[in-house]
Amino acid sequence: MRWLRRRFPALLMARRNIGRTKVRSVLAALGIVIGVIAIASLGMFGLTLRYQLTQNLGDIGNQVMVTPADSSGAPDALTERDLRQIESVAGSGATVAPAVQRFTTVSYGRGTAETRAVMGIDQPGKLFEAREGSIPEPYRSGALIGPNLADQRDLGPGDTITVNGSTERVVAVLSPSQGFGFTDPSDQIVLPTRSFDTRGYDTVTVTETDSTAANATAMAIRAQLNDRRERVTVQDFSGISDQIGQSFQALNLFLIGIGSISLLVAGVSILNVMLMSTVERRQEIGVLRAVGFQKRDVLKIMLSEAVLLGIIGGVVGAGFSIVAGLVLNHFVVGDAMLAFRPGNFLYIGLAFAFGVGTSLLSGLYPAWKAANERPVEALRS
Amino acid sequence: MAVIETRGVVKRYRTGGETLEALKGIDFAVEPGEFVSIMGPSGSGKTTLLNLLGLLDDPSEGEVLLDGEDVTGLTDREQTAARKRTIGFVFQNFYLIPTLTAKENVEVPALFDHDPTVEERSVDLLERMGLGDRLDHKPDELSGGQKQRVAIARSLINEPRILLADEPTGNLDRDTGRKILEEFVEITERDVAVIAVTHDELVNEYVDRTVRLVDGLMGADAPTDGGRPASASAGGGDETQPTGGGERRGSDASGGDRP
Repeated sequence: MRWLRRRFPALLMARRNIGRTKVRSVLAALGIVIGVIAIASLGMFGLTLRYQLTQNLGDIGNQVMVTPADSSGAPDALTERDLRQIESVAGSGATVAPAVQRFTTVSYGRGTAETRAVMGIDQPGKLFEAREGSIPEPYRSGALIGPNLADQRDLGPGDTITVNGSTERVVAVLSPSQGFGFTDPSDQIVLPTRSFDTRGYDTVTVTETDSTAANATAMAIRAQLNDRRERVTVQDFSGISDQIGQSFQALNLFLIGIGSISLLVAGVSILNVMLMSTVERRQEIGVLRAVGFQKRDVLKIMLSEAVLLGIIGGVVGAGFSIVAGLVLNHFVVGDAMLAFRPGNFLYIGLAFAFGVGTSLLSGLYPAWKAANERPVEALRS
Repeated sequence: MAVIETRGVVKRYRTGGETLEALKGIDFAVEPGEFVSIMGPSGSGKTTLLNLLGLLDDPSEGEVLLDGEDVTGLTDREQTAARKRTIGFVFQNFYLIPTLTAKENVEVPALFDHDPTVEERSVDLLERMGLGDRLDHKPDELSGGQKQRVAIARSLINEPRILLADEPTGNLDRDTGRKILEEFVEITERDVAVIAVTHDELVNEYVDRTVRLVDGLMGADAPTDGGRPASASAGGGDETQPTGGGERRGSDASGGDRP
């Protein structure tokens, strides 16, 4: 305290002056408190909403799909070497699932045959989950079918289908996908790759933990495999997740904009308090000038007063905002402790800075006015 | 050499379309350690002169010399610095800052100096003023005389060469007034010039000389008041009257404007 006083002598005067008209100062600071709470909690509300939505959409856009490039001269399949390169750039938490795809004739029981796509994959557990039956591990025989197909054709584990002339037993019905990815299981027919007479892969699907990681992996694969010529096409959902992010950013800005109005009102109230204080203390300021205070000294005192009001309001407001964040997260996400996410503190810090900034701006005019009052005029009474 | 001097100082105010000449050419000088009172009726320009001496205002014509150096036309910043260095103020209404203690009030002029000896000096000054036991009292816990002593201590904290007092005894009873004037006499013994603007005849018992100001003119230049010359011995520009004490009272042309 002593150190602070010696370092910032204007604070002494400012603190005592704020104490002089307690009710008025408390009311002025209350405006800042409300403004800070408004900005911080609306910002946190937007963030929590976004968090909850992404949580609900699950692994939204966390997949990257690599296919051979369309351009002429590019290989028409992905090689084992390509696969190893993709595996090496994918994140540690990622799964890499190579697959082949063929059009062939399929018939279900006594029904007529149709020509359709069939997928060959060695580790279907990396892409799918079973609704009925179970996905064998390792996967050497049997067919997996999508839930829609199963419902339409009234198939289940134990039934048989004929693919390209050979009879396959259905071992599992896949469960519908959560969120969205590149391989929709609903109408799939999946067989082990050895059923296909083929070399290389038609698709490699990388599943990352979240869309940001997926985006990074996509970029890394492009850099790694396409550095000399366009060999592969890499698709990810970064566009979509970017769009969702942008929508939320807009929503957040809008919410904060609303919150800022309350800070504006608080700023006006501080301006008013400071102007009143300037008028009331006219003679006192005249005396300060007479005893040798420079204009900037008076400016400092008045500004410290405004900023002090802002800091007090800001600290109290930030405290309440944390409480508001706890309540918000408790009811929206169901975990109050999620209020301590870094993003929330960003908003609280932002709100605090806005609060102090508003006070500073509101204090400028009264302080300027006080500093530029001619001492002769101020002392005349 | 005079510590402060005015040469042909004229001050005009423009009010509406009219120009009012508050001071009409003042030549006035004060030596270090001198105790001078400036007397005159209301509207005679006393306060205007004090403001000019205190570098709170610039004259319209003429010059003000502080230690032989012309200080008119200095920037506000330079004037403020000069004021802080050489001039102390004492006001009729004390003008202490109500939120600060006596000690803090005395330290106010040195607040931004980051000078570690300030506290020591302020305690010294207050002890000298007999307020050693009132250091941590707020102004509203002090009597009028005590407040004025705090104000004097404040005016002395930066070791000025001139102390300007505007009606220093105006708000005090007679006995307290005497004590304050005795403090002033003691201050002049330390080579600080004291210039008091006052209506109070009591002041004249303590001063080295009294200067009369009537209608913006000083001493011999002043117009006569009630048929009698304002200056008894029309010698130089300044009227210098050694004060002999109480017997001077009643024979003064003070303009009949006592507070």
